[in-house]
Amino acid sequence: MPVLIVPDKSKPLNIPVFQSRIPKPEELVVLDKPLLEATIEVGNLLKDCKAKWALGGDIGEILNGVNVQPDHITILTNVVGCEEISTKLKGFQVEASKLVETQIKRNAEIEPKPLPIMIKSYTSRFDLNGQRLNVHGDLRIKVGDWDWGDPLDYEPEYVYVVGVKVPVVPLELKTRLYRGLGWYDRVSKIHAAMARRHHKIV
Amino acid sequence: MSTVIQENPVDVVCLGVGFMSGVVATELALAGNSVVGITKGPYWDYVNDYSTTKYDEWGVGLGRKYDSPLPLQSTTIRNDSSQFALPVRRYTMPIQYHALGHGVGGAAQHYGGGMGRFGPWAYEMASRTASAYGLGFLASINPQDDTHDWPLDYAHYEPYYVEWEKAHGICGNYNGSPSNSQSDINYPWMSQNYPLPPHPLTPLAQLFQSTVQGMTAPNGQKYNPFPSVSALASQPYTNQYGVAVNPCVYEGYCAGLCDYACETGAKANAAYRTIPAAIKSGNFTLVTNAYIYRLELSASGNQVIAAHYYDAQGNDHRQPGTVFFNGMWGYNMIRLMLLSGLGTPYVYNSGTGTGSGTVGRGLTNGYTPYRGTNVSGTVNIGGNSYPAGNGSGGGVSVFDLMDDNFSHTGLNFIGGGLFGAGGYLGGGPGNITFAGGVSAPNTANPNGAMGSAFKATQQNKYLPTKQSVGATPFAPDLPTFMNYIDLDPHYTDAYGDPVSRLTYDWTPNTYNGATYLVNQIKAILTQMGANPTVSNTVAPYSAHNDWWGHHLRGGLRVGTDLNAGTATAWAALSGYNQLYYNSNTSGFNYFAAGEITNTTGNNATAGTHAAGPQSYRAAEGIKKYLANVGMPGGVNYLAS
Repeated sequence: MPVLIVPDKSKPLNIPVFQSRIPKPEELVVLDKPLLEATIEVGNLLKDCKAKWALGGDIGEILNGVNVQPDHITILTNVVGCEEISTKLKGFQVEASKLVETQIKRNAEIEPKPLPIMIKSYTSRFDLNGQRLNVHGDLRIKVGDWDWGDPLDYEPEYVYVVGVKVPVVPLELKTRLYRGLGWYDRVSKIHAAMARRHHKIV
Repeated sequence: MSTVIQENPVDVVCLGVGFMSGVVATELALAGNSVVGITKGPYWDYVNDYSTTKYDEWGVGLGRKYDSPLPLQSTTIRNDSSQFALPVRRYTMPIQYHALGHGVGGAAQHYGGGMGRFGPWAYEMASRTASAYGLGFLASINPQDDTHDWPLDYAHYEPYYVEWEKAHGICGNYNGSPSNSQSDINYPWMSQNYPLPPHPLTPLAQLFQSTVQGMTAPNGQKYNPFPSVSALASQPYTNQYGVAVNPCVYEGYCAGLCDYACETGAKANAAYRTIPAAIKSGNFTLVTNAYIYRLELSASGNQVIAAHYYDAQGNDHRQPGTVFFNGMWGYNMIRLMLLSGLGTPYVYNSGTGTGSGTVGRGLTNGYTPYRGTNVSGTVNIGGNSYPAGNGSGGGVSVFDLMDDNFSHTGLNFIGGGLFGAGGYLGGGPGNITFAGGVSAPNTANPNGAMGSAFKATQQNKYLPTKQSVGATPFAPDLPTFMNYIDLDPHYTDAYGDPVSRLTYDWTPNTYNGATYLVNQIKAILTQMGANPTVSNTVAPYSAHNDWWGHHLRGGLRVGTDLNAGTATAWAALSGYNQLYYNSNTSGFNYFAAGEITNTTGNNATAGTHAAGPQSYRAAEGIKKYLANVGMPGGVNYLAS
């Protein structure tokens, strides 16, 4: 039986030691497992979807490396897509598609006085094993008493989630949107992700 | 006696934090267990550390800051047991050009990202060779043969391959398996394709692909080319742990002399694939700049009860745990076991040409002999190639010259080699060096390579219309009794403990295989229009010192034969009362992964790919162990 030898050799060595800063949990871009699994399921179910659609909101950003923590899945599409997705996800639907106008929680921060932000879209809601999914068709935005904007349009970019290819709303569009709303904290988060990626800063 | 700092006990202690420990730590932490990972280097942040040191060629290329510091711990090497082994003092060609890794992620700091599964034959090399060519064949081609089958066949490891590939975002498109079904016993069929698509093929790769598609392989069938498998993410990716991965930007710093880290985190590395999820779980503690020097055994010797390490200030720590997983680099893993009295040390008997014991046994090399048989030529690719850089993607490979995918009847070797062509050209600082641009006047270039000559080489390097293509093929380096690891009787580390001693020489199988394979590849290159030449034909044992220590494999093998294999099918340690966990006998609580039973002619870092499934096996084995601690009954670790 070997004897554990604990020699009295503990001493600082004259060897360069590189400082190590271990990242804090909140600095790491990690998607929670339930949402991850729901995203994979959505990606699989919609892989043959003919209408244009993409993951938007925080889920679309974290899949592109942005350090946000989504609590649900958002899909941006058009009216046709809203119907097609409703058909493909029929078993999970909790609210049929209808035109919904609502004020979002955060205000626009572009003037000294905060301006409310309204969104209007054909909205249907789903529940995938406890994970919320909101599908927005022809989403339009209105800030304060301004006119309604045109329906959001985009060319999807693609990311892979455990082997499932899913479309996401381009970060460039998100950046323009956030900048327009004065949400510079969100602009910074996207910039940070792009810098980590060594991509152009939009 | 110095004061020992007592750490709080945890469920699992991971020794070293590289690819293998990354999996085990994450799997166990996400399962709710408390896990500590201890590594001798720092945590390298690819944003702050890699990006800011990108242009620090002195620090990286010469100072070897990402490599294990030799003043702390080196190893000694020799070619046979009659020699006096000398220590590696510096990282230089050809003795030990590439170093071990340092820090979280280990050697993943400086590999090119080349991956690829082992084929089914590799797992049953001994039995299938005996079945096909007779019982005495291996012994006849491999002096002092010590080849064994793995404990499980490819089909058993296949699901673990899938998990490992998902975790690390491996790119590719199947492996050239003609039918891609389990009935294909020669090629690495896949139950699921790789989670990421391959990188775009380069013009040279496309030429190679179209050429071999029209050619007949030695097995009489058409070649089956497939995109080279790469661990550099080709697209934005999220793995099964929810970790977001940046895609490759083709800067090529992953490839520059293999010593440059990926500054976007696109290159698979435990630090950016698995460990983030472990940290996020809240159940994982990462201890960096900590040098593990001993494992403490229980009084009865049938349990590991603590790991001892020095921190960067020289303080002595004792980390107790319920289960210990050793995920260190190969010979560091074996050294720690030998220092701690864990397992039965391998002892070679040069008189009989055999050996006994298991720890340190079966050392093989997974890389091409530097002075090996070589074939090369130049092909016209009909246009400019890409100047982009990427360490391992963009090429095309064939598996048809691998393993026993052609008849070895009448040949004096077994196995074969993976062959591919067409990787990206650009490659960080190495680009300039390898272009031969900055050199003193010499016979070939009397005016030196500065000025117009330098510019010419650079132009041809970045936007070539012709490209050199070639290979130094080899068959597997078979395990023998004469190649092994033990503790050096003369040299010590900075703390006074013996360093590991590697006794190794290339086996004849590599050279004999090269002689055959080089002509197969020559035929392909000829068909591509290369007008290739074969050079440097090297006979077995005629070149000795040209081995690259960082690609050595083995020394701690999984195996069905308990007298030869060190670890069981569950990656638990053989020996002791390891066969069954039992609340009365307490079972054995030491697991290890990362070492393999036999190597193949696949890419060197594909050894990591083949070892990866073992880390999932180990994680599963550890979960079984923890679930049964204190429970009646037991777990048969040898059962599959």
